[in-house]
Amino acid sequence: MNEKERKQHFQNIIEQHKGILYKVARAYCPNEEDRQDLIQEIMIQVWQSIHRYNNQFKISTWFYRISLNVAISFYRKSTTRANKYTMLSEQTTQIPIEDKTADEIQLNLLEQFISELKEIDKGLMILYLEDKSHAEIAEILGMSISNVGTKIGRIKNRLKTQFLQLNS
Amino acid sequence: MNELELKKLWQTANEKLEKTLADNRINSNEISQLKVYHFISSMKPIKLFTLLAGIIWVGLGTIILSHTYLYAFSEMNKFFFFSASVQVILTAIALFIYVYQLITIYQVDISEPVLKTQIKLSNLKISTLWVTRILFLQLPVWTTFWWNEVMFQEWNAFQWLITGSVTLAFLFVAIWLFFNIKFENRDKKWFKLIFNGKEWTPLIKSMELLEQLDEYSVDIRPETNAST
Repeated sequence: MNEKERKQHFQNIIEQHKGILYKVARAYCPNEEDRQDLIQEIMIQVWQSIHRYNNQFKISTWFYRISLNVAISFYRKSTTRANKYTMLSEQTTQIPIEDKTADEIQLNLLEQFISELKEIDKGLMILYLEDKSHAEIAEILGMSISNVGTKIGRIKNRLKTQFLQLNS
Repeated sequence: MNELELKKLWQTANEKLEKTLADNRINSNEISQLKVYHFISSMKPIKLFTLLAGIIWVGLGTIILSHTYLYAFSEMNKFFFFSASVQVILTAIALFIYVYQLITIYQVDISEPVLKTQIKLSNLKISTLWVTRILFLQLPVWTTFWWNEVMFQEWNAFQWLITGSVTLAFLFVAIWLFFNIKFENRDKKWFKLIFNGKEWTPLIKSMELLEQLDEYSVDIRPETNAST
């Protein structure tokens, strides 16, 4: 793959998976500035890892692994943002807040509950809500399928309880 | 709220995102323009400065001590020579470990499964404790730099009691810290006191993460290749 093809390939991957990029960033970073840094860091790591990609894995599996690994590592150094980042335009990382409907309020609550989860649980829940199969989640995280089921069950129960407490 | 409702709710975010993202093409071109992205560029200036200062210190120390050993050993203060040599050797070992860890962390393949990668990264980060342990071992030699032969001829018991106690206390603290600065003691008060400060945040968070990973690591499975 020459440089031009590599760039094109990279741009296609980002374009196809930008939804994942934003959702991971929203779950792992409470504030907008950190979110921009995280998105940029994930993109840098994807760009740098692109030559290592082999097609024995789905591209989405590969992309999720990088995104979650970077997001969790970002948490590790979250108070020490380096100066290497350039600002992405605000427009690219913000979702407009319009007049909120009941669904949107519920969604905000769901996002808030997810952001309160521990780092690995957070990743697990994002994958579950993205409707990934247990096998694929196991592949991305590197755990057994049965343990995926057990962990998801526990986190779901916790979320349900939180929703119930709020609604009552 | 049941499973379907949760996923349906999450999908509403997708729809909203799709709508927003359709109008915003990410400037991935910006990223692909990055020519050289070296791990050094990701280091904070203060860390880079400390690293450079350490390298210069060890370099100059080695040159001066070697030169003295070769050409002026008989005339020099042996206590100073011994103390300075121990200090420079320990600093060199700590620097080597630190740089080795930085490079190893930088080289970790982050497209590997999340748990495996995070355990590897957290363990590497936590192993920077070795740097601290080795640096603390220098403590006693900072109390022996200024010793000289005149002290042995002229000092009285009281003077030796004070000086000896200080050196022995430093030696005890250094050895105790060397054996006790470890992951298992992370919850002790003295540990938190030493590692209190922003520069230790990544280390402390790595420890927290490793605790989380413990819950998962019971069945971390070997990587399979059947996912296409």
